[in-house]
Amino acid sequence: MDPMSRFSVVPSGDESPGGPARPVTLEQLLRRAATGDETAFAELYDAVSSRLFGLVRRVVRDPAQSEEVTQEVFLEIWRHSARFDPSKGAALSWMLTIAHRKAVDRVRSAEAARHRDEGYGASNQDVTHDSTAEAVVERLDAERVHRALETLTPVQRQALELAYLSGYTHTEVATMLDLPLGTAKTRIRDGLIRLRDTLGVTL
Amino acid sequence: MSEDIHALSGAYAVDALDDVERARFERHLAGCTACQAEVESLVAAASELSVLTEAAPPASLRAKVLAEIATVRPLPPLTAPQHESVDEDVTSSTPPEPVQAPAATGAPATQVEHADDLTERRRSRSTRGLARGWRVVVAAATVAVLAIGGFTVWKQIDKDPSRAIADQVLAAPDATRYGQRLAGGATATVVRSNSLHKAVIVTSGMSQPPSGKVFQLWLQDATGHMTSAGLMPGGGDQVVVLSGDASHSKGAGITVEPDGGSDQPTSDPVAFIAFA
Repeated sequence: MDPMSRFSVVPSGDESPGGPARPVTLEQLLRRAATGDETAFAELYDAVSSRLFGLVRRVVRDPAQSEEVTQEVFLEIWRHSARFDPSKGAALSWMLTIAHRKAVDRVRSAEAARHRDEGYGASNQDVTHDSTAEAVVERLDAERVHRALETLTPVQRQALELAYLSGYTHTEVATMLDLPLGTAKTRIRDGLIRLRDTLGVTL
Repeated sequence: MSEDIHALSGAYAVDALDDVERARFERHLAGCTACQAEVESLVAAASELSVLTEAAPPASLRAKVLAEIATVRPLPPLTAPQHESVDEDVTSSTPPEPVQAPAATGAPATQVEHADDLTERRRSRSTRGLARGWRVVVAAATVAVLAIGGFTVWKQIDKDPSRAIADQVLAAPDATRYGQRLAGGATATVVRSNSLHKAVIVTSGMSQPPSGKVFQLWLQDATGHMTSAGLMPGGGDQVVVLSGDASHSKGAGITVEPDGGSDQPTSDPVAFIAFA
């Protein structure tokens, strides 16, 4: 499978349809999963599990809970695969949204709060990059996002990271960054708009 | 107020709203195409950040996931005139949007899903999602469905007085919140406006009441007497107007009652929220 298509969040105008061995897209795998095709779902799992688990673990932090949440996320994707609408966004974005929401729900529930921040090391401690072309593509994608983040103001970037990657509410973000009440939501929105425009995200 | 609520689109796209704000924003979103387009694009932009956090899950997870899905039937696609829902009559007074899954996520689906969802909801403590419905306890609610960012927001179109009241209470300048966390990670927040004499309860992650039972809402007066404030659906996330004048109440409670409700609470409250 072409790693480019696997990891492109943006439904691509630039995927070359004439390229050699046109890869199976996530959208196609989802459609097959919707018919009960477990093999397609396994392929989907292999393609996106690092993206989904990585995001969940960044938000949830506790490894055991992250695993639990990720399992719930995949079940959710399986069950709702027939209801994904490609006209409303890319498949990866849809799956990440499910993962993010479940992760945030988990950390905001009372019993999870106790365990948060325990047993968490560096955010990239077990990224299992191998030396394939895929890893190179991932690194290039990451560099592209890093560069886009650099176009944000420091406050926009911090607000966005605390909200998305750490799962805090905009009110909590305002307190943490010592911003006047009500301005964190504006920073988050402005930061996202900048990110979107810099990355050229289109629907 | 709409200027203000429009500004929540970014925080909504990254799940950074609290339950009450999200309830308000989703009500706004259902009728604001500008916000829908913006939310879709911001959700896509936020998704790009996940490239920075990639981490392979433990190898054992793959087998667990594949074993689990093998025992679960994928939900059927939703097709346009969708009348399966027990609670809502899904019709639309506007040109019908392409109807899509309520729920891309856990419980959101509450509003249209059926028995086969119960299992999952019971298993999953945190059942809620982007798309949520207002399974408001009111007859003849008219509902339209919009698909947003791969998710669906349910929209009750006018004719539903309770929706209008809930919107007014949530947006009232004197709206005051009283919240409580329930067992299992669910939350219940009462928003009261004394100028409107009304209170609205916003719940998140609630389980279903036991079979043959219902959740009933109560308002408590200064003497400690409880007056029924109506029934509340279980499951997922709800926004329900408490019936009666709440302006002098001292608190609100939720109890589990036999089907149809009771005149007086017959069980200890699963939640009691004091207005203090």
